[in-house]
Amino acid sequence: MLSEEPGVPVITVSNLWFSYPERPNVLRDVSLTVLPGERVGLIGPNGSGKTTLFLQVSGILKPSAGKIVVFGMPVVNGDFRSDMGMVLQNPDDQLFCPSVRDDVAFGPRNMGLSEDEIDARVTEALSIVDALELADRPPHHLSEGEKRMVAIAGVLAMRPRLLIYDEPSANLDIRSRRRLIRLLHASTETILIASHDLELVLEVCQRVVLIDDGRIIADGNPRDVMGNDRLMEAHGQEKPHSLLPHRFPHGKSLE
Amino acid sequence: MKLELDEYVHLESPLHRWDPRYKLAGLMALILAFSFVRDLRMLLPMVAATATVYLVSRLPLSFMLRRLRYPSIFVLAAVLILPFLAGQTIVLSIGPFDVRQEGLLAVLLIVTRFLCILTIGLILFGTTPFLTSIKAMRALGLPAILADMLLLSFRYLHEIGNDLQRMQTSMTLRGFHRHRLSPRGLRILAWLGGSILVRSYEQSEWVYKAMILRGYGHEPHPRDEFRACSRDVVALSVFLSTAVAFVAADVLWRYGPAALPW
Repeated sequence: MLSEEPGVPVITVSNLWFSYPERPNVLRDVSLTVLPGERVGLIGPNGSGKTTLFLQVSGILKPSAGKIVVFGMPVVNGDFRSDMGMVLQNPDDQLFCPSVRDDVAFGPRNMGLSEDEIDARVTEALSIVDALELADRPPHHLSEGEKRMVAIAGVLAMRPRLLIYDEPSANLDIRSRRRLIRLLHASTETILIASHDLELVLEVCQRVVLIDDGRIIADGNPRDVMGNDRLMEAHGQEKPHSLLPHRFPHGKSLE
Repeated sequence: MKLELDEYVHLESPLHRWDPRYKLAGLMALILAFSFVRDLRMLLPMVAATATVYLVSRLPLSFMLRRLRYPSIFVLAAVLILPFLAGQTIVLSIGPFDVRQEGLLAVLLIVTRFLCILTIGLILFGTTPFLTSIKAMRALGLPAILADMLLLSFRYLHEIGNDLQRMQTSMTLRGFHRHRLSPRGLRILAWLGGSILVRSYEQSEWVYKAMILRGYGHEPHPRDEFRACSRDVVALSVFLSTAVAFVAADVLWRYGPAALPW
């Protein structure tokens, strides 16, 4: 069953536990449900388990215990599922082909699509991220912002219905970050975003999950969760600037 | 160190136009034939053949010279040692050291063969985009795993080089002079090398994850995107004949006509 009906969860994570050989209990009894079209932000300190959770949902890591179901089908470790895509934190980990075009075509080619369809998808994905002019350039000659957009295009070209972004705004300048936010706003897919950029989460996501020490601490409206001073400070976070009372209201001179 | 091998693939020459599969087979046959050469009388034809192919390729001379610099370090040991150690016939004495004729001739053979083989290799990769060369290898039967390893090695040399440069800069900013060798300096350089290895290993794990996420290993069948014409076949025949001629002539010079299989 590959359902995406309203109300039917896209992701169901039930009682998930995970340990690395050298680090036990990185995830502890995590349960999470994500509905179609939701944009969910995952926040929490470094090492809290955000990326590990994403790698479990993507089927890269096998849970120690618990179950993950995506689009009604259990996630099987090592299986390739083109209905979900993950953009890694470091775009250099993702861009390995000699040209941007080849890299964006990598996923569609593995899906067994025809050459015409692959070309169409590459053009479409590069157009969405506004990087069509980079198609013939080698990825290692791109700027950080361009690399990020090309890495996103590589995932979009598979037309996944679930998109997972791990620290998408890391190392981006203001213009590239704004471009990314516009792109995320325009997405119709279900989106999971792990980020330390709380302003981005606040701007893009309708729901936020605070995770610390492998446990889900809070799950709810971003303004409620991130606006809770005591909760945020207890878990190594800071209330986003835009939720702070402003001593100098915007638009007024400081004098 | 210049890593880009395919910066002149946009040039127009018969070698640039040659079907990559046939080019790979033809030039590899020539390289193999050169590696068989043992007779000194074959050196001049070998240099002439290499120079002709290089001229036809229209690659600039600077392309070859820049790329021969670093690999040449590998033959330096032979150049420096062999003339003094190999053979009996002394042609020159420099203090306590005797320069021997057999050693000099061996160096001449090794260096000429090395330069010719390397030049042909440069022509092969200098006239075809690297990815196309890999695809041609796949089309000729190279296992997918080896082709991918080649591709990734080439791609990540840049990343490792950049990492190394960044780390060296940060070391210099904290007062380390890598040209001033000392036991401590050597230890720090060893740490740098170790750190690069660990980083490369960790990055390779992430790259592999990223590839799996986009369906690596699920490609239904490799595409055959090459289309050869009669001109490609004729060119291949010329190169194969030249390669066979080199091996036959070398055997003929060294052992006489009786050694030939026909």
